[in-house]
Amino acid sequence: MKTGSTQIKPGVSSKQREIIRRLLQLVGLLVFAVSVVFVATVASPFSRQLATPQASQSTSIQHVKCVIGLENIKPNTKGTLSLLPTGLEFATDKNKVDISTASIQDIFTGQESRQDISGAGGTLAKTAIPYGGGRIVSLFSHKVEVLTVESVDSNGGYHGTIFVLPAGKATVFRDQLVAEGAKVTTHVQPPEPKEQKP
Amino acid sequence: MRPLTRAAFLSNLSIAMCGAAFLMAASLLAHPSPRGKPGPAPQQAQKLTASAIQLERTDPPEGLLIPEDTRVSTYENVILQVTKTKKFQHVYRSGDRTAANVPDLVILRLIPQAFKEGSQKQREVTTISGATSIKVKIQFTSRDGKILVEKDLQGKVRFYGENLRATYDLAKKVAAVVNDTF
Repeated sequence: MKTGSTQIKPGVSSKQREIIRRLLQLVGLLVFAVSVVFVATVASPFSRQLATPQASQSTSIQHVKCVIGLENIKPNTKGTLSLLPTGLEFATDKNKVDISTASIQDIFTGQESRQDISGAGGTLAKTAIPYGGGRIVSLFSHKVEVLTVESVDSNGGYHGTIFVLPAGKATVFRDQLVAEGAKVTTHVQPPEPKEQKP
Repeated sequence: MRPLTRAAFLSNLSIAMCGAAFLMAASLLAHPSPRGKPGPAPQQAQKLTASAIQLERTDPPEGLLIPEDTRVSTYENVILQVTKTKKFQHVYRSGDRTAANVPDLVILRLIPQAFKEGSQKQREVTTISGATSIKVKIQFTSRDGKILVEKDLQGKVRFYGENLRATYDLAKKVAAVVNDTF
């Protein structure tokens, strides 16, 4: 029985080695790129989780929309919502309105989604896009939190105020107000609105 | 094409004129005549007078869940719109102690009847679905509890706008009733 002996030519083997080395380099680069992408993807939620407690310490949020309920503030006005030792303060360029902690009767929070492009201008822009492209734009939305504060004035009159905050902030405000002594009752939560796919 | 004879032309013309007359008659019948228009109820024909109104909060019936922001938005929008009518010297809020001294106070109650939460995204993408609607019974009562006027109203947002816009729509309708009643 003959045993086949393979002769490796020195030129060929060096070429093969070169190819293998190149391949290994490419694979290494690919693995590195994939791992970078993977780490970046995994790290972002962690960084968000880590960032949340830091954000919660801040007692002032800008660009909060007061939907309705504050006297001398027009509906849907944007301003800065601050948590003071005495209660809540909503400030715009012209006005500043306080809701004292003692006057608060109840606080509700809820999650909603808002269109990325909305308002009269946004609606016009959407309708101007040809071939129904505005409907595609309508698919893009972001989560927000709604903070509803029920309070009474000096005469005992009921007031309800609705704020729209970035996601995760309303709960922080509610918890801090409760810690300050604001009244909160137990609520029967309606089912969360499902994002209905059109 | 063969030209029409005089007789055929007259026949076609008469058919066309008959058709037109029939359509006109039908449209006249469909349009409500001023005399046939259902007049306002006898009690609403005579407008009520009151110097002040108090808007009371009413809890929804058991089994009807309405998000609190919708309820608050309804209340506050109605306060704004009723104030805008300028029919009353003062619009009191629920629980306001100073309203106790007003002799001719009218109390307005909004009793929730139904609520359907839609989706803004669905409305804007499909146009035909995702509407939000809120139905309430409004009651104007005197201080002693006598019902003066009662009506069912519905607020809707069908195409563009956030869900809370339904409460604005409802408040405008309440203001219209206030204008008709006082």
